[in-house]
Amino acid sequence: MKLFRWWRGILLAFLLLAVLRFFLPLPFSNEIIIFSIYTMGCSFLLGRVGFISFGQPAYLATGAYATAFYLFYFGTNPYIGILIGILAGLLISLIVGPLFVRLRSDYFALVNLALAVIIFYMLQKVLVDITKGDNGLWFLTNIASTPVLDLSKPNHFYIFAFLVALAIWALYKYLNDTIYGACCLASKINEDKVKFLGYSNFKIRLTAFVIANTTTALAGSMYAIYLGFVSPEMTSAHRAADPVVVTILGGVGTLYGPIVGAIAYTGMKDLISGLIGNWELFIGFLLVFIMLAGEKGIWGTLEPLLKKALFRKNAFKSE
Amino acid sequence: MMDTQLLISGVIFGLSIGSIFFLMAIGLSLCFGLMRIISLDQLLYYSIGAYITYSISLVTGSLWLGALAGMVVAGVISFGVERFIFLRIYERDIAFTMIASFGVLIGGVGVIKSIWGVIPRPVPIPMVTQISILGTEVPFYRLLVVVISLLVYVAIWLFLNRTIIGKAIRAGIEDVEHVEGLGINVYRLFTTTFIIAGTLSGLAGGLHAPLIMVDPQMGLEVMPFVFMVVIIGGLGSIKGTLISAFLVGQVVSLGSLIYAPLAQMAPFAIMLLILLIKPTGLYGSKLLKR
Repeated sequence: MKLFRWWRGILLAFLLLAVLRFFLPLPFSNEIIIFSIYTMGCSFLLGRVGFISFGQPAYLATGAYATAFYLFYFGTNPYIGILIGILAGLLISLIVGPLFVRLRSDYFALVNLALAVIIFYMLQKVLVDITKGDNGLWFLTNIASTPVLDLSKPNHFYIFAFLVALAIWALYKYLNDTIYGACCLASKINEDKVKFLGYSNFKIRLTAFVIANTTTALAGSMYAIYLGFVSPEMTSAHRAADPVVVTILGGVGTLYGPIVGAIAYTGMKDLISGLIGNWELFIGFLLVFIMLAGEKGIWGTLEPLLKKALFRKNAFKSE
Repeated sequence: MMDTQLLISGVIFGLSIGSIFFLMAIGLSLCFGLMRIISLDQLLYYSIGAYITYSISLVTGSLWLGALAGMVVAGVISFGVERFIFLRIYERDIAFTMIASFGVLIGGVGVIKSIWGVIPRPVPIPMVTQISILGTEVPFYRLLVVVISLLVYVAIWLFLNRTIIGKAIRAGIEDVEHVEGLGINVYRLFTTTFIIAGTLSGLAGGLHAPLIMVDPQMGLEVMPFVFMVVIIGGLGSIKGTLISAFLVGQVVSLGSLIYAPLAQMAPFAIMLLILLIKPTGLYGSKLLKR
């Protein structure tokens, strides 16, 4: 019973997502799932550890390009490609993590943005022999069919992405419940007291950084496999704010915020760019409006209301 | 390895580009120091300054008039943005102001695109005079840019150290609540600082316009360098910003002489190195979070 309780929230959310699949076009559902995995890392960093990162595209591109290199030059198995993407994300976050997590939150945001821009330049200009610059790498035909879940088919890919997202959510929910999750929150609120309790702020933050950015890299390699091509465009400065915006739109630090935010943001972007050519203008003012509107985000506002409604219903039943 | 002529012109190029970086970074740095916001929209005022300069200099034929108009327009727009957007979210977390300012930047770029179009436009250089330094012909305009930015530095220094408002701003960078306790209206200080920052960014755009092409993405193109300048110098420090601006300018210019992609990579490497030694940048103090 206890186990069921623990899983209840996640299963409910994903059941809704699975139902949505039948009402929305497939590319849109895939986009939402991958985007919400992408945002989850950022949401964890911002909500739990208090680090705002404007450089998530850097890690996204690391994962995507690692997968792309493997599929373009070496092999054909998409699962190994994803594994390589995850490893690359782990590697880069282990390299830059110790440097970055020592910084204050504001410097952290700027340094990450700078890293994203540098990776953009590297992919676009410096490593042009390997990455083919702005043309990107196309490898859709290189992806081999695999026996159980055939990732080259969007239909099967959706099931795979869904399962991955479920696993990631379970992982983050587990993390939030452990002592480690409590330590993260504590180091956000008062780092001196964490030190008094005998925990190392540096280690807590480094672990969080590595976990979050490995998740981001995983989202990147899933993007690569889903789209079948990668280009430096994904790290461009325009998209740097996307995950942070979705995080805040959904509700900072909440577990379901990333899903709600991803659905809302992707939906709005699709609608607006379909209606008007000059979408930048509207996205810009939309961002300002969202920031002015409130701190809690969509899920942060809805959650207490939902809980209240559910609680009342339960109370009514028990009577 | 490298002849002196190339070296001298490289150094002059680095100095002039460093001056532009300085004029822009000073706004970001002041805004962070006093208000604790990361104001990405300074890059928009830079683009606006450049575009107004382009339009005015096309009509009147004078770049100086254009740069002046660019400064004024950028200042007015920054005043409006501060009043309508930032005043409402100063109290919130730094993430909110950063994204709101990013939204202003993206939206502003959209407005620029719809007014002037997406095609890059050239702005004529106002003076083609070359003067010779140690036998190398150097464009006079680049030297003038350096002189102007040094004048701005002196003016900002005098403003911050010799006037009562400037002293209040400096005190605010140390501790805003005490300044408020002395009966000074800090929100008026915030507005003043923001307008100064926006005006200087507009000036940077106006001065930079003849050296490059004016296009809607120009703000996003200089963004990484301005960030590196601010980070290396330390957020909130004017002296650090000046030094790091010229440092980054030289690294960009001399680095590209040695190996072209180095222009983008080398400043980043230096930034990482400096952060490794001193996590707050060269002159940044250990500011407390508000």
